[in-house]
Amino acid sequence: MSKGLDSLQHIVVLMMENRSFDHMLGGLSLVSENGKKKYPKINGLTGTESNPDTKGAIVKVQPNAQFQSQLDPDPDHHFPGVDLQIFGGQQGDGRVANMQGFVKDYFTQTNDVARSHNIMSYFTPDKLPVLTTLATEFAVFNGWFSSIPGPTICNRAFAHYGTSFGQVGMDIFYILDPIPSVYERMIQAGHTAKIYYYDQQSSTMEIVNLLKSQPQIFATYDQFIGDCKAGTLPEYSFIEPCYNDHPGVDGGQILASDQHPDHNVREGERFIANTFNAIRTNQDLWNSTALLVVYDEHGGIYDHVVPPACTSDGYSAKASDTGTGVPFNFDRLGIRVPAILVSPWIPRGTVVPGTEDPANAQIFEHASIPGTVTNFFLRGDAKRTVREQRARNFLHLLTDTVRSDDDCVVFGNLS
Amino acid sequence: MAPSQVISVPKTDPGAYNPNRPAGKLLLAQTAHLREALIKHLHEMAGVLAINIRSLKTEGDVSAYVEKVTKVLHPHGVKPSGK
Repeated sequence: MSKGLDSLQHIVVLMMENRSFDHMLGGLSLVSENGKKKYPKINGLTGTESNPDTKGAIVKVQPNAQFQSQLDPDPDHHFPGVDLQIFGGQQGDGRVANMQGFVKDYFTQTNDVARSHNIMSYFTPDKLPVLTTLATEFAVFNGWFSSIPGPTICNRAFAHYGTSFGQVGMDIFYILDPIPSVYERMIQAGHTAKIYYYDQQSSTMEIVNLLKSQPQIFATYDQFIGDCKAGTLPEYSFIEPCYNDHPGVDGGQILASDQHPDHNVREGERFIANTFNAIRTNQDLWNSTALLVVYDEHGGIYDHVVPPACTSDGYSAKASDTGTGVPFNFDRLGIRVPAILVSPWIPRGTVVPGTEDPANAQIFEHASIPGTVTNFFLRGDAKRTVREQRARNFLHLLTDTVRSDDDCVVFGNLS
Repeated sequence: MAPSQVISVPKTDPGAYNPNRPAGKLLLAQTAHLREALIKHLHEMAGVLAINIRSLKTEGDVSAYVEKVTKVLHPHGVKPSGK
């Protein structure tokens, strides 16, 4: 076991909303320094990736992503839409994933050819100083995929249970199988775990099966900040950003910070920075915590990496539920999302290889979250799916060497 | 704490706040999930209200009833382990 793992006492997961890897971090691959690529190991964009539009024109990726108002209406990210994005409209058994259906699918939302091109937009790194700084200062995953080629609720279920219990959509469902959430596992074994939602006006997305049945595992983001200051953070924490714009209790303005289109991406940057700083500015906590920043799914936005096959979780969604006319056996991952692991025990510039390096590929998905937490704190002792048991864990990235305090960034201008 | 490199985070655009923005599918799904949880909660409360307290005879009966009501009124309460 590394010294970093020996020191680890807390795992914190911040799950943002609906942005693809290439959209947020793909521009890092185009940064040059002294005539060479500055980040050659990051599997981002070359600038030549493209999709056809509904008129047959070729639409290249464009470095013109905006913080807001560009992806309105919300890009499609439900199961049939993501199927079109991945397979480009091919049907049948022999089809091959080609990531050629994003523009066509966004046209179904916009009914406007020019606006459908916006789905190919990406941020230049200077626009996202928080996410790109964390990605280049700590560890970025080239191969972290959403668990299902579908929307939020089922993907978030994988982060809590290691399965969505056969769900591929947003419907209400009840858990009938004896697979406890990672929070139940922790608490039943005498450990500590919490879900921190932003505030009561934003609340949680983990409602029927967790908020209703286990309200004791919830707290607010203000309490997270307080727990960081007081050194009372649980062993495992899951943070939810603010999901809507609403008035504050003092009459101020609370902005959505989840980065779900069409919420302001810059506000999400500030939320990520605030969460990082809360851990970073308590020295004991900083040295004993691993912070994972990850997105639940790609939100319908372009990414060039074909999602790989995966171990089924034993469930099957019926053709009537998938909306594609064929069932889904949970044997293919969803589209790639940004994922960054932060700790002073991680060397600067760590890039975890993905499918671009088949010999060394390390593929992650949201079942890796309960899988890692359960293996680390509970030595794997819990009832869970085969999918979660086989999901790759991410704590091996913590090394024997801790970086000095002045070797780690801090974010400013947040008040 | 020793000096560290400070990364300045830009402010969000002042005009970004818009509580009148139409709610998307995720937020509407959230309301449906919350309503379902509330209905489930109310059904449980109705079940507790349906208990005739005159039917409670023993300390065991009373403790079971008190637990049900307390769970409704104070859901964060912790059940201690027995001897």
